[in-house]
Amino acid sequence: MSARLLALWLKETIALLRDRHVLLALFIMPTIFILVMTMALRDAFSPGVTIDVSYSVVDLDHSASSQALIKRLEKSASFHRLAGSGDLEIARNNILKGRQNLALVLPKEFGSRLLTPGGSDGKAAEPLTLLVDPALTPALQLAFRNQVMAALGAVRADELTVKAGKLFGLPTAPGAQVEKDWPDEIRSEAVRGDQNAKIPSSVQQNVPAWLIFAMFFVVIPVSSIFIIERQQGTLQRLRAMGLPFHLVLAGKLLPFFIVNQVQAVLMVLVGIYLVPLFGSEALELPSSLPLLFNWWAVSAAVSLAAVSWALLVASLAKTSEQATIVGGVGNILMGAIGGIMVPKFIMPASMQTLATLSPMAWGLEGFHSVMLRHGSFADILPGLAQLLAFAAASLLAAIWLNHRALAELS
Amino acid sequence: MLRIAGVSYRYRDAPTPALHEVSLEIPGGGIFGLLGPNGAGKTTLISLLAGLLTATNGQISLHGQPLAAIRAANPRAIALVPQDYAFYPMLTVAENLRFFAGVLGLHGSELKTQCASAIAFARLEQVVSKRAEQLSGGLRRRLNLAIGLLGQPQLLLLDEPTVGVDPQSRHFLLDSIAALPAAGTTVIYTSHYMEEVEAICANVAIIDQGQVLAAGLLADLLRSPEPVLDITLEQAMPESMATRYGARLNGAQKYRLILPSTATLPRLLDELAAASCSVREINFGQHNLEQVFMRLTNRSLRD
Repeated sequence: MSARLLALWLKETIALLRDRHVLLALFIMPTIFILVMTMALRDAFSPGVTIDVSYSVVDLDHSASSQALIKRLEKSASFHRLAGSGDLEIARNNILKGRQNLALVLPKEFGSRLLTPGGSDGKAAEPLTLLVDPALTPALQLAFRNQVMAALGAVRADELTVKAGKLFGLPTAPGAQVEKDWPDEIRSEAVRGDQNAKIPSSVQQNVPAWLIFAMFFVVIPVSSIFIIERQQGTLQRLRAMGLPFHLVLAGKLLPFFIVNQVQAVLMVLVGIYLVPLFGSEALELPSSLPLLFNWWAVSAAVSLAAVSWALLVASLAKTSEQATIVGGVGNILMGAIGGIMVPKFIMPASMQTLATLSPMAWGLEGFHSVMLRHGSFADILPGLAQLLAFAAASLLAAIWLNHRALAELS
Repeated sequence: MLRIAGVSYRYRDAPTPALHEVSLEIPGGGIFGLLGPNGAGKTTLISLLAGLLTATNGQISLHGQPLAAIRAANPRAIALVPQDYAFYPMLTVAENLRFFAGVLGLHGSELKTQCASAIAFARLEQVVSKRAEQLSGGLRRRLNLAIGLLGQPQLLLLDEPTVGVDPQSRHFLLDSIAALPAAGTTVIYTSHYMEEVEAICANVAIIDQGQVLAAGLLADLLRSPEPVLDITLEQAMPESMATRYGARLNGAQKYRLILPSTATLPRLLDELAAASCSVREINFGQHNLEQVFMRLTNRSLRD
C-alpha cells in the first residue's frame, strides 16, 4: 500500500480523534437520539398496547367467575391494574386523591348469576359499577367499559362451555383449562402500497434512522479539515509536493467510511443492549448471513453517499461556519423530509412522495427492507443504486469545484 | 543555474498578464532575492516554479533540463514553503513532519532520518510533541521551513518566510537560510524586508507589474550610477547655497543634491561648516536597497 495514502489516512484519523466536539456529534448524539426517540415514540408505533390509566377491582363476590374476569382484564393489559383491596371506600378515596382513575365493583352473587338473565328468577339483575375519575377523558372511559364487556363475554362463554359440556355429558379432562382462547384478538396491520407490511417498531425505526443521520454528520469533520487545508495553503503545498488531487480525496474517503462503519456497529449495539435497559424492546437484526450482508451493503452505500456529500459541502463552503450551516441545515432538512425525525408512515401521501427525494429516505427504506421484510439483495438494489449515484454525482461535483478553484487561483 | 526565459502568465479573466516576458538567470547554490510590491507577480512566479501553475509561454530550466521534467523525475527536487502556515494545527510538530515526509514518499529509516534532521535544522527539539496550534509565531515559521526541507530539495522556494516573527526568531531563520547553499540548495527568497534581502542575498531581482525592473548582483544594483548626495543637516541650508547646488528638500532638513563631480563634495562640506550647518547624516554614491526599490517601483501606493 502506498506510503502516501497511509500518511493521509493517519493524518485524518489523528485530526478526527483530537476533535472532541465532532466525536460527540458522531457517536454520542445518535445514541441519545436513539434512546430518547425510542422511548418517546414507543406508543406511537404500537397503538393501544398500554394506556397510562390505572384501575382496581373491588371484588365483593370472591367467586371463581369474578377471579376469572379479573384475570381476563389483566390479560388484555391495556390498562394498568393496581392490586386493590376489596374495600369500596378505599377505592373511592384513591380515585379522589388521584392515585387511580377507575374502580370496577363486582357485586355479590356475580358468579352465581352470571348466566341468569335479569328478572328470570324474580330478582333484578345486579349491575357492575364503574367508579370513574371525572377528569378521565370519556373516550378512555368508554374504552375501559368495552374491555370489561369483552372480558365479561369471554368469562360467560367459558362458563357456558363448561355447563353445556356437563349437560351433554361431554368428557372433561380433570384439571383442564376452563379459560379458552376465543378468537377475538385483533392484530393491527398497516396497509402500504400493494403489500401489507409490518410497521417498524420504535427501535426498528430509530436505530437505522439516527444511524443514517449521524453518518451524514461526517460533513462537519470532513469540511473542517478540508477548509483548514485550503485556507492555510496546505493543499497548495501538497500539490507542490506532487500529490494528485484524487489521492487527497481517497485519503479522506476511507477514514470516514470506517468512522461510519464504527457508528453502525455502535448504534446496533445500543439498539440491542442499551435500549432494553430503558424499558423498550431490543433491536433484532436478521440472523442469516446473506441478510446481514445486505444490511451491511445498505450501511456501506449510505456511508459512501454521506462522505461524498461531505466532500461536496467542504468544496462549496468558503469557511467552516458556512460548512457547518450548509452541512448541518442540509442534514436536518434531508432528515426531516426523509422520515428520520418523523417516521414516513405517519406522513400524508404528498409528504411521503417528497420523502423519496431524500437520500436519507433511500437508506432508511433499505434498512427497513432488510430488517422488516427480510428483503433480498435484488429488493435493496434500487435503493443502493440511488445512493451510489448520489455519491458519484457529489464526488464528481466536488472534483469539478476543486479544479475550477485551482484554475481561478490568484 | 535556474534559467527563466520569456515566461508569461495570465490568470483567467484577468485584463493584464500577471507576468510578462520575464527572463531571469538564477545562479545555483546561492540565495536569490525576489523583490516587488504587493501584486507585482512574485507569488505567481513562485507558483510557476513550484509547478502549481503552468506558464502561458516561455521556458524554465534547471541545469539545462526543463523544470517540469526534473519535477516529474523527482518530485522532491523542488520544495515550496508557502507564506501561510501550511501544516495541520491539530497535529503535533512530529506528526506534521512525519505526515509531509510520508506524502513525499519517504518511509522507514529514511523518513526518520529526514524528520530528525529537519527538527535539528529548525531547532524544534523542545516542541516535537507539542501541537502546532500551540506554537508561537516564530516556532510556526520554523516548522513551516522544516517541512520544506524534508525531501532535501535542490531548489527551495521561500515565500515571505519571516512574516510576523520576533527579532530573535527572524535572526535564527535568516542564519539558517543563509547556511542552506553550503549544502548545495538553491534558494529563492521573496520578502518585503529589504534589510533581510541585503543581509543574505548575493543576487536579487526587482519585479513590478509582471516585469523585471532590475536584476543582478546586489552590489551592482546598490551602486549609484550618478553622484547623488543625500544629506541631513541640523539646521536649514542657507537659501542661496541651496539654489546654487540645486538642492531638493526631501523631508525636514533633508536634502538631495546631484553633484557635478565627486570633487565638489569637500567644497560643499566646507561651505556648510562656514554657515554653521552641522551634518547629521550623509550618504554618497551608494544606495540602500530600499532606495533602489522605491526609485524603481515608484512611490505610489499599490493597495
